[in-house]
Amino acid sequence: MAIERILKDDASEEKGERARTASFVGAIAITDLVKTTLGPKGMDKILQSTGRGQEVTVTNDGATILKSLHIDNPAAKVLIDISKVQDDEVGDGTTSVVVLAGELLREAEKLVAAKIHPMTIISGYRIAAECARNALLQRVVDNKENAEKFKSDLMKIAKTTLSSKILSQDKEHFAQLAVDAVMRLKGSTNLEAIQIIKKPGGSLKDSFLDEGFILDKKIGLGQPKRIENAKILVANTAMDTDKVKIYGARVRVDSMSKVAEIEGAEKEKMREKVQKIIAHGINCFVNRQLIYNFPEELFADAGVLAIEHADFDGIERLALVTGGEIASTFDNPESVKLGHCKLIEEIMIGEDKLIHFSGVEMGQACTIVLRGASHHMLDEAERSLHDALCVLSQTVNDTRVVLGGGWPEMVMAKAVDELARQTPGKKSHAIEAFSRSLVAIPTIIADNAGLDSADLVAQLRAEHHKEGCNAGIDVISGSVGDMAELGISESFKVKQAVLLSATEAAEMILRVDEIITCAPRKREDRM
Amino acid sequence: MAAVTAAQPRASKTESYVDNKRKEDIRQANINAARSVADAVRTSLGPKGMDKMISTANGEVIITNDGATILNKMEVLQPAAKMLVELSKSQDAAAGDGTTTVVVIAGAILKQCLSLLSHGIHPTVISDSLHKASTKAVDVLTAMAVPLELSDRESLIKSASTSLNSKVVSQYSTLLAPLAVDSVLSVVDPEKPDMVDLRDIKIVKKLGGTVDDTQLVKGLVFDKKASHAAGGPTRMENAKIAVIQFQISPPKTDIEQSIVVSDYTQMDRILKEERNYILGMIKKIKATGCNVLLIQKSILRDAVTDLSLHYLAKAKIMVIKDVERDDIEFITKTLNCLPIANIEHFRAEKLGYADLVEEVSLGDAKIVKVTGIKDMGRTTTVLVRGSNQLVIDEAERSLHDALCVVRCLVSKRFLIAGGGAPEIELSRQLGAWSKVLHGMEGYCVRSFAEALEVIPYTLAENAGLNPIAIVTELRNRHAQGEINAGINVRKGQITNILEENVVQPLLVSTSAITLATECVRMILKIDDIVNVR
Repeated sequence: MAIERILKDDASEEKGERARTASFVGAIAITDLVKTTLGPKGMDKILQSTGRGQEVTVTNDGATILKSLHIDNPAAKVLIDISKVQDDEVGDGTTSVVVLAGELLREAEKLVAAKIHPMTIISGYRIAAECARNALLQRVVDNKENAEKFKSDLMKIAKTTLSSKILSQDKEHFAQLAVDAVMRLKGSTNLEAIQIIKKPGGSLKDSFLDEGFILDKKIGLGQPKRIENAKILVANTAMDTDKVKIYGARVRVDSMSKVAEIEGAEKEKMREKVQKIIAHGINCFVNRQLIYNFPEELFADAGVLAIEHADFDGIERLALVTGGEIASTFDNPESVKLGHCKLIEEIMIGEDKLIHFSGVEMGQACTIVLRGASHHMLDEAERSLHDALCVLSQTVNDTRVVLGGGWPEMVMAKAVDELARQTPGKKSHAIEAFSRSLVAIPTIIADNAGLDSADLVAQLRAEHHKEGCNAGIDVISGSVGDMAELGISESFKVKQAVLLSATEAAEMILRVDEIITCAPRKREDRM
Repeated sequence: MAAVTAAQPRASKTESYVDNKRKEDIRQANINAARSVADAVRTSLGPKGMDKMISTANGEVIITNDGATILNKMEVLQPAAKMLVELSKSQDAAAGDGTTTVVVIAGAILKQCLSLLSHGIHPTVISDSLHKASTKAVDVLTAMAVPLELSDRESLIKSASTSLNSKVVSQYSTLLAPLAVDSVLSVVDPEKPDMVDLRDIKIVKKLGGTVDDTQLVKGLVFDKKASHAAGGPTRMENAKIAVIQFQISPPKTDIEQSIVVSDYTQMDRILKEERNYILGMIKKIKATGCNVLLIQKSILRDAVTDLSLHYLAKAKIMVIKDVERDDIEFITKTLNCLPIANIEHFRAEKLGYADLVEEVSLGDAKIVKVTGIKDMGRTTTVLVRGSNQLVIDEAERSLHDALCVVRCLVSKRFLIAGGGAPEIELSRQLGAWSKVLHGMEGYCVRSFAEALEVIPYTLAENAGLNPIAIVTELRNRHAQGEINAGINVRKGQITNILEENVVQPLLVSTSAITLATECVRMILKIDDIVNVR
């Protein structure tokens, strides 16, 4: 009797076959949800928030969709996690990784039904993944030495990434934007230096890349609107009053003139602070907090451009790109590092006035201004552009490139298939299943485009039987085409990450034979 | 068509379960929801369009003809319907006018898409074709457009009155149209001739009178009384105006303070000190020659007290209090002065000068007018009057539309005919183009062309004409080469619409077409609605 009461009241436990089925069902459901977004003809989803405001997001980005789902299935959560990791690591392929993992599980389910031990499947998958990676590695193209060719590779990758997104119509334009921005970074993967500003109005074609930094703020009244050779102090300090932060501090006086004196002293303190700031030899002051009327006027009198209420993100970026430091005390002018830029001026984008810092210290910094019809459009455009930027910056570091359009999957599937034939024992079933899962990706791409996938994939397989073929699915014409000629490329790093993390996730879920749900923590009922 | 029919049996071949039914349903539901939004605003299109009365949740009533306002207040829930509301907002931001047109066009294109989808054409194919068609449409429109010079005030007024004709205030269009043109032209900066910042035009609404009394004021108008306490001046010639951001009241420190009074004589002294303190400030102000004070509202303490008002009145200084901080920039720009944040900085060079500042009675309300400003900045104020709040609000919205129309013309100096002429011409030319195209594309472009006929159709319908007779007649005239033939709603027949002075900016038409297409493409690409956190 005692054994039954191991777990707490509300905790539950699912064992063996049931647990595995639950995992499979959850993972496959997630896969089916995002599968239709894959490929250049993938569809979008509306995400309707159930929270306040009922906000609506329209997106094609796998990671965004998965991130916002309500999920109560542990296996599904694992898939969401790998998509998140993929997003953080390489930025693109977030849908592919989930779809591949889902397909692997779908195949595994059949094998388990055929009484093959999960451990056997896992070891088969491992061998297959290793083999697939090697097969891909043999076919990579590396144009690191040839700068001209490498740049065209980058363009191709950017276009391929963008073609599945909302920006597909203007992909030439945006691919150029993204490549230019990433080339400026000179190999660093710090995307913080690329700032994206969204301004509704105009059309996507009006988006542009601007060298320098744009701050979405206003210049204080009566201050210069244009400064050359600016010395910038970035600060986070209270510019209303320095309050004594002791609770209940108060002064007692016995006459009105004393009060006036205190008020005068407070003003004097502020004036001193402003003078200390000006004594840094600056002509531009950016503060995260409000600047009240009084100090604003003092700055105006001194001919210093003061920008108030720049948000956290704003000042951190500004400090980064201008090479300054965020200061909060001003007693030691020599220890504070000032930011520099060649020119500060007010510009107008659409209906809004913004402040433009050009010729900044960190030459790699730049700003991409996105224009578009609506907020939905802009948000989605930003997500798409972010994906492209991530992939490009990764590719700059790891210059190996493979073809796209289902080509890598077919190459891997072929190698894995051959391996299956050479492998004795039950493992070969698992290896064969792995190859089938890989083929599922071109199948889905074709399905989403409304093409006859069975026919196309069979054609592809036949093409790939020849040595050194570049065949993939050409979605636009709906047939098998030469990917090298069509200029469809992907980053090797993305593909590798998709392959390895999908396999790992599938493995992890397969290993599970028991799900224990902990009792929810009770909330105290308060009156 | 072949694509999807081929896709159906494939499901059994690959043995994978493809749930297409649900996706079709979602797409249908989205399109239907979006179309019903479009239908709701359809009747307000055109000079004979009707208005809508909207009763908001808090009991407020709005009567309007402005598509953006109607949609904004409708509080739709369905996500696709919301996208149409967003669409109208975007048009409002991009062009300012044509907010109804854009929604009606989107609705019509969606209707065509529905039949295309039922033929089994893949949504992405439709989407791509629509994009091509809209690019082509913009080219056609640009070719039709007539260039315009900013000096051509007549044409500007014509286009502003076209926009005003569909509103409640249409009978006043002869007054409001030139007013809108003048106010926009007066804020155009010669250094940046393409840019107009509508924030430089301030619209002040005041109840009373009729829309006829609406006027353009070269200067500033405050919707406030001058301070009357203690009989201060309400009219000041040769005014020297100071905008102050500090307070004329007993001192208050940021740190908590209290004055300890121990006996009666001390109380007397404190009162006297307070008086002296204020008097000292006012003397300093008077010393610079300032005779009009604009005082910014303060939340921390009273901006002025009765006592200080009394002294200011004695010093013959006119006071306008409670100026919002947001307005300070506009005021200082207009007056060409600097705000003063501290009494110590009160110097003569920071003042603004005007010939006359006076309080004017309008019915039972009073406003303060500042005119004859020296070195006035490029700003303008429009004083809108009306017999009731609803009329004033609608007049303001209509005026805003008219201002936007003129702004569009400033940034893109081309005019195009109104009255459904461009839409019919587009429909004709795209229809001809679609015959050259191959495959699905031609089919989709043909549908796009048909969808555009909705504008003349609705115009005719709203005017109580026979839409079918009018549209076919219109098509006929355009086929014969009269590209500017349009519906003359006033006469109820088809005439050369350019001669009737019905013109609109090119930007309004092009942005309506591109935005509507973009929105439709977005809706087409959606195949699922997911509920999320």
